Amino acid sequence: MSRVILVVDDSPTMRGMVSHALHEAGFETKEAENGKDALIKLTTMEMGGTKPDVIVTDVNMPEMDGIELVKEIRKLSAFKYVPVLVLTTDNTDEKKEVGRAAGATGWLVKPFDSELILKVIRKVLPQ
Amino acid sequence: MNGDYSKFLHTFFEEVTEHLSVLESGLLTLEQNPNDVEILNRIFRSVHTIKGAGPMFGFTTMSRFAHKVETLLDPLRNGKFSATRQIIDLLLKSADCLKMLVEAAKNGTVIDEDKTVLDLEARLETCMTIPPPAPVTSASRTYQISWMPGEDLFQRGLNPLKLFEEMGRLGTIRSCMLATSRLPDLVDLDPQRCYLSWTCTLETDYPREDIESVFEFTTPPGGLTITSLSSCSPAAQPTQKPDPEPAPPIIDEEEDPQLAEVFFGRKSDHWLGAILVEQKAVTPVQLAKALDRQDTLRAKTKEQKAETSMRVDTEKVDKLVNLVGELAITQSMLSALGGRFEIEHLPILQERLLQLERNTREIQERVMGIRMLPISTAFNRFPRLVRDLSIKVGKNIQLLISGEDTELDRSVIEAIGDPLTHLLRNACDHALEPPEERVAAGKPEQGTIRLNAFHEGGKICVTVEDDGRGLNRDKILAKAIEQKIITGNDTLSDDQVWALIFRPGFSTAEKLTDVSGRGVGMDVVKRNIEELGGIVSIKTVTGRGTIFTLNLPLTLAIIEGMKIRVGQDTYIVPLLSILESIQPKADMVKTLIGTGEGVNVRGVFYPIVRLYEVFNLQPEHKNPAEAILLILETEGERVVVMVDEILGQQQVVIKSIEENFRKVDGVAGATILGDGTVGLILDVRGLVKLARQEQSIAV
Repeated sequence: MSRVILVVDDSPTMRGMVSHALHEAGFETKEAENGKDALIKLTTMEMGGTKPDVIVTDVNMPEMDGIELVKEIRKLSAFKYVPVLVLTTDNTDEKKEVGRAAGATGWLVKPFDSELILKVIRKVLPQ
Repeated sequence: MNGDYSKFLHTFFEEVTEHLSVLESGLLTLEQNPNDVEILNRIFRSVHTIKGAGPMFGFTTMSRFAHKVETLLDPLRNGKFSATRQIIDLLLKSADCLKMLVEAAKNGTVIDEDKTVLDLEARLETCMTIPPPAPVTSASRTYQISWMPGEDLFQRGLNPLKLFEEMGRLGTIRSCMLATSRLPDLVDLDPQRCYLSWTCTLETDYPREDIESVFEFTTPPGGLTITSLSSCSPAAQPTQKPDPEPAPPIIDEEEDPQLAEVFFGRKSDHWLGAILVEQKAVTPVQLAKALDRQDTLRAKTKEQKAETSMRVDTEKVDKLVNLVGELAITQSMLSALGGRFEIEHLPILQERLLQLERNTREIQERVMGIRMLPISTAFNRFPRLVRDLSIKVGKNIQLLISGEDTELDRSVIEAIGDPLTHLLRNACDHALEPPEERVAAGKPEQGTIRLNAFHEGGKICVTVEDDGRGLNRDKILAKAIEQKIITGNDTLSDDQVWALIFRPGFSTAEKLTDVSGRGVGMDVVKRNIEELGGIVSIKTVTGRGTIFTLNLPLTLAIIEGMKIRVGQDTYIVPLLSILESIQPKADMVKTLIGTGEGVNVRGVFYPIVRLYEVFNLQPEHKNPAEAILLILETEGERVVVMVDEILGQQQVVIKSIEENFRKVDGVAGATILGDGTVGLILDVRGLVKLARQEQSIAV
C-alpha cells in the first residue's frame, strides 16, 4: 500500500507542485488549504481508520498557521507521532527555533528541491 | 529548480493574479483603516506567496521584489508604524511594479536589473528606516527619472538625445546616468536594438505629467518611473543605485545539502553549509541567470497553450457531471421504450420526453454557467481608478460598489470594462462638482459614485450613479441646435434630450460640465454596450445627480426571443426590446402628414413599420386593426412593428448571417427553429432607422 502524505499550503500552486513531486515518487497525497482545514482532514482520516504517514506544512497561512497546526497535532493522541515537516520561505534561526519548540520534525525551505524533500520524507517515514 | 513544474505555471499565474488584486484592493481598504491588522495579514500572505512560489519557476526578480515589499509590510503588520498616505502610495506603486514583473514573466521577458524595480526597492528600504516627512510644497521640485525604452526604440525612428533635449527645456538636468546592464554579450548584440536605459535627476517647476508626456509613446508599460526626490526620502542623493542582490535565492537548494541539516536534532550553524559557498565560488549570478532564462523560455512555450484554458469552480463541474448522468439515464430509458414501442406506451414516452427536455435545459443553463464570472472581476480595478482620479481632479470622492457577486458571461465582463471606466471617469471629472461648489449647494463635501450590478428579468443591470450636478437640458439643447442636430422648433422629451449626448458628433457634449472632454465620446460607450446587445439609459435630476443604467444580456450566444409570424415566415424578436403588444382598434391608427402612418397608444403616437413591406412578404393581414402590433424599444426610441401572429417565447442561439452570407438590413442574425427551419432575428435598431427613413420620405 502506498504511503500517504498530507500537504498543507494555502497556495494551490505550491500544493500542486509538492504533490506532483510526491506522486512521481509513488506517494499518495492529501491536500489541505490551511491549519484548520488540515485538522479537519486529519479528523476525517481518523474516522476512516487511516492517517498520513508524514505531514508537510507551510507556515504562513490564513485561519491557522503551520506552527499552530504542529502544536495542535502534537496534542492529538492519534497523530502525536506523525512526522511533520515544515516547508516555508522563512529561513531565520528564530523562526526555526519556534518551529522546533512547537514540535516540528524538520525544516525545509522554499523554493524547494524535490529530491531533498523526498530524501527527507523517506528518512522520517515510519517503518 | 528540478522536476518538471512547468505544468503548474498556469496555476501559478492565475494564483498570482488573484494575489495581486487582493494586494491592490487590500491597500485601498488599508488607506481607509490604516490599522486593520486582518487586511495587513491578508496582504502580507499574498506577497509572501508570490515571494515563495516565484523562484520555483525561476522568477527571481519577482521574488526578490516581493521580499522587499514584505519587509516593509512586516513592521506595519506588527504595529511598529502605521500606514501613511505615502507608504500606501509606495505600496500601490510596488503592486503595479509587481504586476509588471508578473506580466513580463508571463511573456517570457527577463527583467533583471530594471530601473523601476531597483528604484522602488531602494525606496522601500529608505521608507522603512526614515519615517516619511511631510511633502515639500515648493514650486521647484527635483525628480528622479528612470527611463528604460523598449528595445525597438531605434527601429521606431526615435532618438533618445531629442528626448533629453526636450526634457532639458522643462528645467535643469542635474545628473544623467547611463545603465548598460541590459547590454548582451557582443556576439548577441543587435546594433539596431536599444539596450540602454537612463536615470536622470531633473529640477523643474513643471508638474510630473509634463515630464511623463516627454516620454510618451517611447516607453513600454513600466519603463518609466518618475520619483519626486523631495517627497519620500529627502536625503536621497542623485542616486547611486544600490548593488543588485548578489545572488538570487534560487541557488539556495540547488545542491543536495546534508540531510542532517534539515532536522532539528542536530544543530547546524549554516543552513546550507559550505557546499553552497563553494557552489557560489564556481558559478555566481550566471547560474541563476541561465536558469532564469531557461525557465522563462520554457514558460513561454507553455503559456501559449495555457491562454485558452479557464478556471471553473469544481462545484459547477460536479453538478454538470451529475446532470450528464441523468441525461444518460433518460436516454437509456427512451431507447428501451423505443425498442419495443406500442401505442399504449405513448403517455410514458411523453413523460420521458418531458424529462429529456428538462435535462437538456438544465444542462444548457449549467454549461452557460461555466462561462459565468462574478462581475467583481470587472469591478475590481475601479476603486483604484477612482482613488487616483479623485487625487488628480482634486475632489473627495467615494466609490460604493454593490452586487459584485452578480454573475455574467466572461466575454461580456471583458467587454464592459472600458465603457464602465469611461462612465466612471466622466462622473469623477465632470459630473461631480468641486468641493466648494458642493458645499455651496448644500451637499456633503464628499461626492459619491455608486456602482451596482443586479439581475433584472433575465438580464443584468449595471448602474453608475453619481450625486453630482446632473445633466443640463438647456445646455444640451443649445449645443444640439448649434451643431444642427435638431432645430429650435423641435420639442423633445427628456429621454430624447439625454439620448443626444450619445450622438457621435456630440462627443464634445462633455464640455457641458465645463471641463474639457477627453476626446472619447459617450457614443463609444453606447456603441460598445450595444455591440453586446445591451442598452444604455440615463436618468438625471438637475443638481441631484445622474444614473447611467446598462442593461446587459447574460450571455452573448443565446438570447430570449419571441417568435412571430408574418405570412408563412417565422421571425424572432429579442425579448429585451419588446415593451408590449397590442391589437389596435381602427380609430387608433392614423396617417399624419409629416410623420407617416402611426398608431396612437394612450396618447403617444408611434410610427408603424409593416414588416411584410420591409421583407417583401405576402401577409395575412394588411389592415393594422386586424394584425398585431409590437411596441419595440431601443436606445430610448420606440417603434411599432406590425405582424400577423405571436407564436411564443423561445431561447435561440444566435448564428451570424454576416459571416456566412452578408449583412442584411433589419436582420441581426439567424437561428435554427424547432422544426429545423431557419428563423431570422430582427434587428430592432435597424427597424427604428427604417421607420425614421420612411418618416422623412413621408415628409
